[in-house]
Amino acid sequence: MTAQTLPAGDQAVAAPAIELANAARWYGNVVAVNDVSFSLGAGVTGLLGPNGAGKTTLLHMLAGFLAPSAGTVHVLGRSPHRDPSVYRQIGLVPERESVYAFLTGYEYVRFNARLQGMRNADSAARASIARVGLEDAADRAIGTYSKGMRQRVKVAGALVHDPQVLLLDEPFNGMDPRQRLSMMDLLVEMAGAGRTILFSSHILEEVERIGTEILVLVAGRLAASGDFRAIRALMTDRPHTITIRSSDDRRLATTLMADPAVFAVELKENALSVQTAHLSAFRRIIATAGRTAGVRLTEVVPADESLESVFDYLVRR
Amino acid sequence: MSGTPMTGSSMTGSLTAFPEIVRLTFRQQLGRRRTLLLVLLAALPPLLALIFRAFGEVDVSRFTDRVFDLVSMTIVLPLATVLFGTGAFGAENDEGTILYLLAKPISRWVIVAAKAFAAVALSLVLTVASVLVAGAIEVVPAGSAGVSATEAYVGAMVVGSLCYVLLFLTLSLFTRRALVLGIGYSLVWEGALSSLLPGIANLSVRQYALGVADSFYQLHQQAARLSPTTALTLSAILIVVALALATWRLMHFELSGSTD
Repeated sequence: MTAQTLPAGDQAVAAPAIELANAARWYGNVVAVNDVSFSLGAGVTGLLGPNGAGKTTLLHMLAGFLAPSAGTVHVLGRSPHRDPSVYRQIGLVPERESVYAFLTGYEYVRFNARLQGMRNADSAARASIARVGLEDAADRAIGTYSKGMRQRVKVAGALVHDPQVLLLDEPFNGMDPRQRLSMMDLLVEMAGAGRTILFSSHILEEVERIGTEILVLVAGRLAASGDFRAIRALMTDRPHTITIRSSDDRRLATTLMADPAVFAVELKENALSVQTAHLSAFRRIIATAGRTAGVRLTEVVPADESLESVFDYLVRR
Repeated sequence: MSGTPMTGSSMTGSLTAFPEIVRLTFRQQLGRRRTLLLVLLAALPPLLALIFRAFGEVDVSRFTDRVFDLVSMTIVLPLATVLFGTGAFGAENDEGTILYLLAKPISRWVIVAAKAFAAVALSLVLTVASVLVAGAIEVVPAGSAGVSATEAYVGAMVVGSLCYVLLFLTLSLFTRRALVLGIGYSLVWEGALSSLLPGIANLSVRQYALGVADSFYQLHQQAARLSPTTALTLSAILIVVALALATWRLMHFELSGSTD
């Protein structure tokens, strides 16, 4: 499956900033990333998937810290693996929380600037800290920061050299809603300035707000890619499974089968498993069906509302 | 964005990175409780020198054997170097902060050299100061023999610090048990086994250091088994090989298996 995130204008004809071709990575018998291909240009792209889907492995391959077991990974036209010079144009925000606790926020960001060889490290550090809204805490030791503040100082350190490509692994972890909104606005602003931003998340709503383009990774495979709204619609329209317990499951099943919104009913031990594509309509149908059949409903529970089941559906499509 | 990365070679970036990484490593190491313990340990030879001075006549040979050799060479130097050497990358590895160093456009050997520089400097300050102060209290007043003995063990501390730190730093990049292995190396390999197998001298940092010390002052009880030239040559080989291996390791650094 291939995702194309190509912006309008001049960028559309430029080479993609990130390009994976049949990239795979396995550890012994465990396949973490399997035959993934996509290319990204400027813009914000969300890498969505449940825990264990291979998101971090994919980001580590893009950041040059893992070689693909098969296929190719290119960032700005070259392989990032074992090529330190690529970090002039890449900013990386790893998932792990740990930052040098004994440094102040300012010292940490300035340290990153100096390691990037920047002459104006002081002013760049101050500017980067301001961009993530940490001015008030800049001169405090990072060890005293909250989880959300640590995430923000990590982002400040990663963008201090104004990289062309920014890779963020679960950047919103630990942030409160206000901090999330502010960080999302920053990423959108950077994307507007022509940067390529790829961030991972296992929370749909995070991606919904900023990722107009998304990649859905499930069990190491690219399950879906493209415009978020289209994929969101797929997720909404997918069959929902509902478990129902009643005073007479068999009679209720007969009544429900007559409704076009219901396309599968399975009689189980002390329960009915019903599949419908229209969850909201079904809520009305089930009440009517219960009255029509003269059956008392004791339990109506959606059985598959976890994010994993949504991803699982996308994979099976 | 206000920042502008320097254009040009990675050497320029590496030049600015070196002192930054050295400073960072100093702060990492000095902020640890075990560094305070090392300072207390390094105070032991001067303390013993005061006791020797208070209760007996100056005997350069006896002091050299009992304090410089048994305490400074056998306890203070190996412990200081194994803690500073393994600690240089140890915390970075354990906490994952090594990523912040590696995701930068700087040569890997610069990272290794800066970490090693900081660890060697800390070890030198501690061990050399310990020997100098102890020598000044007890044996230097005895005349030229005392001066030579002190010089000899300062030389041993310099060579020992360089070799041990590089050895243990490199070891820490290959295994998480570097601290235990390092202590085992000095206790078992250089301690117990070297007395049984004289050939081990060629693979013993302690013998490299004593070989250099022997050129300043004729050692008694723990006679150096290597000539100063051989000791210096082997030391140089160890340092170069360790630097090369550590650099190779960082160049081939991969994040451990994760399926997230």
